[in-house]
Amino acid sequence: MAVDPIITAVFVLVYVAITLVLGYIGYKKTVHPEDYLLAGRSSHPVIIALSYGATFISTSAIVGFGGTAANLGMGLIWLTVFNIGVGILLAFVLFGKKTREKGAETDALTFPDLMGKIFHTPVLQFISGIIIILGMPLYTSAVLIGGARFLEPTLNIPYTTALLAFAVIVAVYVIYGGLIAVMYTDAFQGAIMLIGMTILLVLTYVYVGGVNVGNSALAAMSDLVPASLTAQGMTGWASMPELGSPIWFTLITTLVLGVGIGVLAQPQLVVRFMTAKDNRSLNRAVLVGGPFILMMTGVAFTVGALTNVYFFQHEGKIAIDAAGGNVDAVIPLFINTAMPDIFIIIFMLTLLSAAMSTLSSLYHTMGTALVCDIWGRGKTCVVSVRANQVGCIIMMVVSVLLALVMPASIIARATAMFMGLCAAAFLPAFAVGVYAKNPSRNGALCSMIAGAVIWFFWTVFVHAAEAKTLGISQFLTGAVTILGAPWTVIDPIVIALPLSLIVMVIFQMRERTTKAT
Amino acid sequence: MLSVFGITDPAIWLGYGLAIGLAILCMVYGALNWNREGEEDHGS
Repeated sequence: MAVDPIITAVFVLVYVAITLVLGYIGYKKTVHPEDYLLAGRSSHPVIIALSYGATFISTSAIVGFGGTAANLGMGLIWLTVFNIGVGILLAFVLFGKKTREKGAETDALTFPDLMGKIFHTPVLQFISGIIIILGMPLYTSAVLIGGARFLEPTLNIPYTTALLAFAVIVAVYVIYGGLIAVMYTDAFQGAIMLIGMTILLVLTYVYVGGVNVGNSALAAMSDLVPASLTAQGMTGWASMPELGSPIWFTLITTLVLGVGIGVLAQPQLVVRFMTAKDNRSLNRAVLVGGPFILMMTGVAFTVGALTNVYFFQHEGKIAIDAAGGNVDAVIPLFINTAMPDIFIIIFMLTLLSAAMSTLSSLYHTMGTALVCDIWGRGKTCVVSVRANQVGCIIMMVVSVLLALVMPASIIARATAMFMGLCAAAFLPAFAVGVYAKNPSRNGALCSMIAGAVIWFFWTVFVHAAEAKTLGISQFLTGAVTILGAPWTVIDPIVIALPLSLIVMVIFQMRERTTKAT
Repeated sequence: MLSVFGITDPAIWLGYGLAIGLAILCMVYGALNWNREGEEDHGS
């Protein structure tokens, strides 16, 4: 990085100092366990929106998916459509309000606690907690790896030092300040992300000659698409892949549907709704949330695709070739090559904010799941602030250990896997639970288990991207996948979520019929 | 072929139009419901 290391260090130190001060304010405001777990159920709408958005968007969304857009083109904008339409409008208006009302009505303090209380059984609280502490460390480790991989060259420190420093700084304010500290720091980090992504969009279009010229140049580069991608259905960076081709299936099922719908049932996001004082706060949060997400993923995908124009004009290469074939390296390379020094620092803080805001929420959700929902299941979730702090420390240590042994290439994959698992296991039961007058307990139980098991089976034995990385199918059956095309490119969520939904609906209808007779 | 801001594939510019339109819809929704469903406004 060309930026003066002393200036960089000063900016990072000021940033960390502000974050820790906000964490301290959270600590001072945390008096009761309800403050630690749900920010006292009185969060400001802007803080809810920025915290939700900043938690939603991790480094993976900006660097990983931005790099994917450099490789697969602007078709990824459909993920932004889902991010706003499903992740904000549907999530806040349809699910958010009902979740808040049910949470307040039942005095639920965590997502698993809410599930247990809606369905009147601690078993569901326990199972939800187990799914969280088994699935979430994978995603947490991916966020940790992404942050550390970025800090390593930026601050010129060893990878392990970067990983541990990153993990510990975030842990300090989560452990002491609970959800108030998490949401305050999220809002600060969200504001930095908004500034960083706005400058990135403007400067990128300036560098490629303006909106019309830049987009036209990108559309005219379709003959430069690598033969390997053309063979799989790619038609250019400013056009959609051929309908039904392998790249189309990957783009639509894994990226757009998997990540777009997966967001609806993520415990660390659902709990944000329960921090609102009233539904009016959620109405107001929608006003901020929609434009925020547009400026995050919409900008990342647009800039990612346009890096092809920049690198072709300056180096005679497409983006992926300029980055040495590494998708995750495209956005950092573009920033370091094209942007002025001051923006390199701003963007570094933007990525640091994206990583820290997601990480803090994951620590908090895992720690409280361990203490409230697994250890203290069935009892009142208000154990003690100290017990929840210990839970956060344990889950932080687990995530750090996992991050030390996981390969770096798993970042984007682990993110998509976690979102898919959450949607398949939680979404049908959660949706029926907050809306139905008498939700079926057995239906929720079977739907959650069916969703998780089918998702796991498809991930391990059918979906090529994960099955190949995990190697379990190869070990047990001698084949990378047990089914052929097109099943191998269809994301697990597309199979597991509808089946989980069918199970829930059948039980719900059967119990309604039984009660009616 | 119709070109919108230099993009000729309708599936792409439609995606951009929808993304921007939904963000605007969020702003309109938030503004119109700014004072609805507060603590003192049950059932509205």
